[in-house]
Amino acid sequence: MSMLNDPSMKEIILDFCAEAEALFDQLEQSLEMAEENPSNTKELEKFGQIIDRIMGAAKSIGATEIATFCELGKVIGYKSSQIKDIPLIEVVVAILFDSLHMLRKMITALKEGNDRSMEKLNTKAFATRLNWLSAKFKDIDRASCAIDPAAGKLSQTSIDDLMQSLGL
Amino acid sequence: MPLKADIKILVVDDMSTMRKIIKNMLGQIGFTNIAEADDGATAWPMMENAIKEGAPYEFIVSDWNMPQMSGLDLLKKVRATPGLEKLPFLMITAEAEQGNVVIAVKAGVSNFIVKPFSPAVLKEKIDKIFK
Repeated sequence: MSMLNDPSMKEIILDFCAEAEALFDQLEQSLEMAEENPSNTKELEKFGQIIDRIMGAAKSIGATEIATFCELGKVIGYKSSQIKDIPLIEVVVAILFDSLHMLRKMITALKEGNDRSMEKLNTKAFATRLNWLSAKFKDIDRASCAIDPAAGKLSQTSIDDLMQSLGL
Repeated sequence: MPLKADIKILVVDDMSTMRKIIKNMLGQIGFTNIAEADDGATAWPMMENAIKEGAPYEFIVSDWNMPQMSGLDLLKKVRATPGLEKLPFLMITAEAEQGNVVIAVKAGVSNFIVKPFSPAVLKEKIDKIFK
């Protein structure tokens, strides 16, 4: 039985939801700062670091779809922090706002029921944007909190694989 | 020789969800003496105090990505401290990037585990560390 559907794990699931919501507020702050000053790409890196923390816990409780969206957000956050194309950064920020909105809905669904509640959420529009966005980052290698940027091995293929794992 | 149940363990993770999950798993494995810290920056003074009190932690289970002091920085501090060079240190991460694993190994990590993991996998890693 998945942890999500195990009544004895309910407390941990609710704790996760509360923690995730608190971190979503931090993510939103980072995006607001990046929106205000798109050249401040440190905020996008910070976004990647914070969403990475949510991803780990989401994976551990079996919230696979939340984890996958966090992973996409992490990759896009880290990669976009390395570009200098202001119009593209503005689009990235807008899409990350949307992804954050989607994640909030997922957490609400998780609190309300079990992982099946997620199925009601329509992620296709979001995926179309991510597809387009991922194509913009083909030449950027660093996609995570790897200490050595050259060692970051998550490639464009990884983004594509993630999307495929979402059934997109 | 089997590990004693009351081995002094410190679980370090900024997410309380993860700390609870890991503590639950360690409890399932049979460990009873588990403390927790919410960041490398809070773990390190706890470790220093434990040494001063003559009851140092015997096993560290730490997340990698934490906001103030990362698991890697905590590991480096531990390894640079006389007496802690061999302290068993299990690093947990949400991503299995080859580069990160290499860096952690170079820094002296005892083993490396990727989320999500089961109690059986955790036990396997612990058994390898203490073999």
